[in-house]
Amino acid sequence: MRILVVGVGNPILSDDGVGIHVARILRDRHLKGVEVEELPASGLELLDMVLGYERVIIVDAIQTKSVEAGTLHRLKEEDFERTIHGSSPHGINIATALALGRKLVPEKMPKEVLFFAVEADDVVNVSENLTPKVADALPEILKAIEQELR
Amino acid sequence: MAGPIINDTPVKTKEKRITIDPITRLEGHGKIEIFLDAAGNVENAYLQVPELRGFERFCIGRHVMELPVLTNRLCGVCPAAHHIASMKTLDAVFSATPTPTALKLRELFYMGQYVHSHIAHFYALAAPDFVLGPSAPSNKRNVLGVVDAVGVPIGAEVIKHRSYGQKVQEIVGGRATHPVFGLPGGVSKQISEEERVKMEEMAKSCVEFGKFTIKLFHDVVLANKDYLGLIVNPDIYYLETYYMGMVDKNNKTNFYDGDIRVVDQTGKEVVRYRPSEYLDVIAEHVEPWTYMKMPFLKKVGWKGFVDGASSGIYRVGPLGRINVCTGYTTPLAQKEYEVFRKTVESLGVKGPVHHTLAYHWARVIELQYAAERMLELASDKSITSEDIRGPFKEPKEGVGICEAPRGTLIHHYASDKNGLCTKINMIVASTNNYAASNTSVIKAAKSMIKDGMVSPGLLNKVEMAFRCYDPCHSCGTHSLNGGPALEVTIRRKEGSVLTNLKNY
Repeated sequence: MRILVVGVGNPILSDDGVGIHVARILRDRHLKGVEVEELPASGLELLDMVLGYERVIIVDAIQTKSVEAGTLHRLKEEDFERTIHGSSPHGINIATALALGRKLVPEKMPKEVLFFAVEADDVVNVSENLTPKVADALPEILKAIEQELR
Repeated sequence: MAGPIINDTPVKTKEKRITIDPITRLEGHGKIEIFLDAAGNVENAYLQVPELRGFERFCIGRHVMELPVLTNRLCGVCPAAHHIASMKTLDAVFSATPTPTALKLRELFYMGQYVHSHIAHFYALAAPDFVLGPSAPSNKRNVLGVVDAVGVPIGAEVIKHRSYGQKVQEIVGGRATHPVFGLPGGVSKQISEEERVKMEEMAKSCVEFGKFTIKLFHDVVLANKDYLGLIVNPDIYYLETYYMGMVDKNNKTNFYDGDIRVVDQTGKEVVRYRPSEYLDVIAEHVEPWTYMKMPFLKKVGWKGFVDGASSGIYRVGPLGRINVCTGYTTPLAQKEYEVFRKTVESLGVKGPVHHTLAYHWARVIELQYAAERMLELASDKSITSEDIRGPFKEPKEGVGICEAPRGTLIHHYASDKNGLCTKINMIVASTNNYAASNTSVIKAAKSMIKDGMVSPGLLNKVEMAFRCYDPCHSCGTHSLNGGPALEVTIRRKEGSVLTNLKNY
């Protein structure tokens, strides 16, 4: 089975880059049967990346502002159905891109797409570092992803 | 397929402030605030743009060679344009002369970016308004609705060719998004004959897809009298501004290199400048209600959000470029340019086209040009040469300009003798267009919202006024709950929410 972990985010935008931080650590662990990619974009670029894999885990930042920074949200593709949106000022989001793939190239789409979304604190200031709460949560986040991959 | 839904039924609002806000975007999103007067007519409108903090400070003290990969992190949408502008700036900083092979590879890479970017904008962002209609239900007015309307085979062609643009960038640039190949005086990676042939095949297919897209634009947009009415209506999507864009020595459009030409409202050239002269031409105005600066023509001056010869507001991007050029160097794009000119002239337009929705037509012509130019370059067997790096000298100060898909993009760095960055300034395409897009929003809002009557379709038509600029205000942020969904909030005068209209 081909499995892909995609870390999504901007590595120079504080916690927005948490997915990239996670991807870099996971890549160094050389997990058997798991490929790791970084995606500093979203939408259609993600669609290009996931085609041909059977299972995909996407790691990204989220801001619900309802929980502590560093909290991990586990979400499925259907959880994003309500965010498939209408007109937009720029770009299409991940949910729309995946729905587009399921419509246009269903045979190449992964059977399962899981989202590990990390509650972010700062996504505005330019920095290569995570904020302390998110950095402290990294070991637990990695453990959860590795358990999922087993 | 059913016809597009162009109008819906407005309802009366008693509110004074209407907000069009892509709320799920974390930061970097644009928000439109519309203020009504007592009679329910538009008093003013503001396109507000939050901005990332600290980027310049982050770059100071780093080695300038890092800047092509740092500056492209500003944006997940057009990183290739930043990478190109940055490597051109390094050419200037290091007094470096790229080899002919390096220049061809850079331009080939860049055509891949244009193919990807213009396809994505036209089909995913603009087509919902044209194929489904600006007043179609919001849950249908998206790229998925477009696929339902035009069919899966066409949809599959769209994503295939956009992906070809990405693959060309990946082959030449090392990575499709956030490339790594630009160096002062050249590029870091030679390409193989096998890679060249692969790109040539993809480019051939993109040229055909360009032809298809132009035909689709004619069939869906220009053949529809209601759309044509919207396009040519001088009260809605129409501004008489200056225009700016890059041209070659024959005034043909060039995305990679050339002089920057500025024309006035009648098409007369008012200035033509080299990148190093940009500060003589452009000044920046600051408004208290937004983070983004508003560039204007220094010699004309800032007169507020108004058009006309006395206002220094200019426009860049596809409409800016088509108005400053005399055509294209490739046959199919040139042919469509002639159709474009003939059509607008038959409608009484003599000089530049001031109709904002013509951005979309110019964009599909540019898609055709980029595909043709990509084929020219990929067919050139000399691009596999190993001569990919030219000489360079000690670092100093330099400016590099290219045409991003969204418009003129300026990078300016200064370096100490060790190559450490001491100064950085960037004017990105959407900043160049900011004053014009805000003025467009004001004009569209004033003509669309009368006597307090609003509807989702009307507000979408206001948004269309700035969407055709393909604004990229985000430059970097996104997250899982991100995505540019829109919410219109109508508030009571004291600020409490009376009602919400969502498009998702």
